[in-house]
Amino acid sequence: MILDPILDYFRGKAVTIPPLDGAFRPNTRLDDAHAFAALTEADNLAFRSGTLIASSGNAVYTLTADTEPAVLESFPSPVTALAVSPAGELAVALETGKLFIGGKEVALPSAIRCITALVYGADGALVLANGSAKHAPSAWAADLMEKGASGSVWKREAAGGEFREIASGLAFPYGLHPVADGVVVSESWRHRLLRIGGSGTPKTVIDKLPGYPARLSPAEDGGVWLSLFAPRNRLIEFVLQETHYRLDMMAEVPRDSWIAPALSSGRSFLEPLQCGGIRTMGIHKPWSPSRSYGLVVKLDASLQPLFSLHSRANGTRHGTTSAVEKDGTLYVASKGGDSVLAIDIATAEGR
Amino acid sequence: METIVRLEGVTKAYRGVPAVKNVTFDLRKGEIHALLGENGAGKSTLTKVIAGVVEATSGTMIHHGQEVSYKTPNEALEAGIAMVFQETSLVPSMTVAQNLYLGAEKFLNRLRGTYISAQQFLQSLNFPVDPTAMVETLGAAKKQMVEIARAVHHNAEIIIFDEPTATLTPEEKRHFFALVRRLKARGVSIVFISHALEEALMISDRITILRDGELVASGETREFDREKIIAAMVGRTLSAELYRQRDEAKLRKPGHKVLSVQDISMSNIVRNNSFSIFEGQITGVFGLIGSGRTETFKVVAGIYKRDFNRGGTIELDDKPVRYYVPREAVKDGIVYVTEDRKSEGFFETMSIAENIFGGLLAAGHEKAWVINAAEMRALSAEWTKMLNIRAINDNARVVELSGGNQQKVVIGKGLVQRPRVVIFDEPTRGVDVGAIAEIHQIINRLADEGLAVVVISSYLPEIMNLSDRILVCRQGRIVEEFSPAEATEEKIMYAAVH
Repeated sequence: MILDPILDYFRGKAVTIPPLDGAFRPNTRLDDAHAFAALTEADNLAFRSGTLIASSGNAVYTLTADTEPAVLESFPSPVTALAVSPAGELAVALETGKLFIGGKEVALPSAIRCITALVYGADGALVLANGSAKHAPSAWAADLMEKGASGSVWKREAAGGEFREIASGLAFPYGLHPVADGVVVSESWRHRLLRIGGSGTPKTVIDKLPGYPARLSPAEDGGVWLSLFAPRNRLIEFVLQETHYRLDMMAEVPRDSWIAPALSSGRSFLEPLQCGGIRTMGIHKPWSPSRSYGLVVKLDASLQPLFSLHSRANGTRHGTTSAVEKDGTLYVASKGGDSVLAIDIATAEGR
Repeated sequence: METIVRLEGVTKAYRGVPAVKNVTFDLRKGEIHALLGENGAGKSTLTKVIAGVVEATSGTMIHHGQEVSYKTPNEALEAGIAMVFQETSLVPSMTVAQNLYLGAEKFLNRLRGTYISAQQFLQSLNFPVDPTAMVETLGAAKKQMVEIARAVHHNAEIIIFDEPTATLTPEEKRHFFALVRRLKARGVSIVFISHALEEALMISDRITILRDGELVASGETREFDREKIIAAMVGRTLSAELYRQRDEAKLRKPGHKVLSVQDISMSNIVRNNSFSIFEGQITGVFGLIGSGRTETFKVVAGIYKRDFNRGGTIELDDKPVRYYVPREAVKDGIVYVTEDRKSEGFFETMSIAENIFGGLLAAGHEKAWVINAAEMRALSAEWTKMLNIRAINDNARVVELSGGNQQKVVIGKGLVQRPRVVIFDEPTRGVDVGAIAEIHQIINRLADEGLAVVVISSYLPEIMNLSDRILVCRQGRIVEEFSPAEATEEKIMYAAVH
């Protein structure tokens, strides 16, 4: 047992994926949820003056019950992140790496080119997550397959000035949540959440997540909502270990057919992992291995998981990239399911 | 319908203690007759009298209108009465085919011919058993199949099955019932002893119920239902205890994650299996035989070793552990209560006290080099009382106890080690309904006390009744988790099969 870490070096470490149990026990709460709005590739959610807004494609939409989404603002390229300042100002990041605050472009250091998340602290400081130094946000699968760890987190004080790097060497930071002494960051490719304090040294607060974490948002009871946009599965973990295969796959296979996580799946017979592994006797097995999944986790104030909401392999509300809470209702963006869901939290929690 | 065998006022006493008292029983030609009762009710003894294994102390047996008294099983077999025993009577060091033809060998035997004819015969029964395999290498279910095949092979006109389905999977049970019906169609009379009441109700034509060695009810199967049978067997109704539907609100909430198993592998039996076990909760594990559920937990308990290369990770309280012998696991508080109590669970010729104290020694009792008889007796008295182990006297050997009490000894032997994680593998196999209720109470009490409890069972009502969460194992890994409140037998079976 003591020698295991040494022996693992020679014999190869087992691919281990945390099971979906305990707080992560599968259910169908996302699939059972009411569709608040149909929105193609709904991504980042936020509240502005009490109204739900969502990014989708090149625009930011306002969403209200029983009406069609209305365009709030349009941009020349896809929106990759948004945030609302305490003063109600809208910050929007684009696929091209540009950042607009209140409609005006903000000058950024050249190292920032992949903004995946934006968040304002209570003091008005703006923090942004730069997912990768090499790839654009939409090329996240390539960053994962290259085992990228070039992400960083940047901060601009409330008083203004330049963005300052507060953490680097991160494996695709995708979510931010301000806390008293710093910021909590979701690091997707390492399946964990980090706390970055004043010292700048990241500290792991939760690891071994069963999926790839995306955005974080505050819950009204002091906890945190964490969205996970895709599941980990053994085949993908295996491919990540097989360097030559992975490089060949990236060079020769269209990206949609890579053995890689996806925001939605099951729509093409060309996808990997088909046939009896997925469907038997006409029933799509909910526990079958899947490239996509929908998972939102409620964390308590100490960032430990309490319960979760799922859209399983046989569901459609996959690619959950963002979740926000207001007045006891949780709104979830399902990027793979092209919808925004509204869920009564008390019911979801089983209260 | 013609009566083929009739017992009149039969009594059988062991050392003066009657196991069967003044029982009158008749078996008709071509009928399936279910014989039901708790452990120790006298079912096996009664059938042993018919099969010539034991002689009745008083009373008469009439076979084909003639009063008979078979002195040996061979004599009964020659007269057309075969018995399939609960504990298999196969020779472990011989092949399946050799066991099949044991006692019927020719002067010169051609081994190849024996194998071919055994293969044809086993195939005709739909039993997937390799005739060249050594019996000791077979699992419990396959041993049972060989035992059944042997009885059928003798062309007996009466076959007595003692708990034939206890070790069979649902699929194997279906084959078995089809076989029994085929035998019935050929005019063979069947005596069917089972603890599974649904099976008796489903397959039998008539039912006879014994309690404390006496006949308490007998009649056509259509006159009975589960309630009536249980009431007759134990003198009180237990249905509400044993077959209750779980309510989501009453399920125990998971406590601290005590055990985290990630992608453990052992050959091709356990394959990348991942799950967690929580304190204060009963985790039910269902799977068909061969699904790797037992092997998985034997790896956890250090009985089997996981693969040396890429064998996965087991974490106890977030610390990785790798046990090479069960003793290390026991010291860490992981106890496995075996499914095969007779060969792995206890020392049958030793007393209850010695067995329970043996458990303490295995856990690393500090004074293991000298055995204090008074301490042993006190410990035994404490656990005998706590688990309600019933024996003739304090020095009773475990082999003399009924199945339910033997199982309680095995449980006591494990619990004396003060575990944090208790793994029960088929805790009520071959145990009567009264003892099942008691064992279930013990298991529930452990979870209520905050222990992490795992119950592996192939009996779905047990899993659904006991568990706070249900894990389904298939092809060496946990494939699905259900809440007992939402689970149905159909859903669980689908996950277990597909």
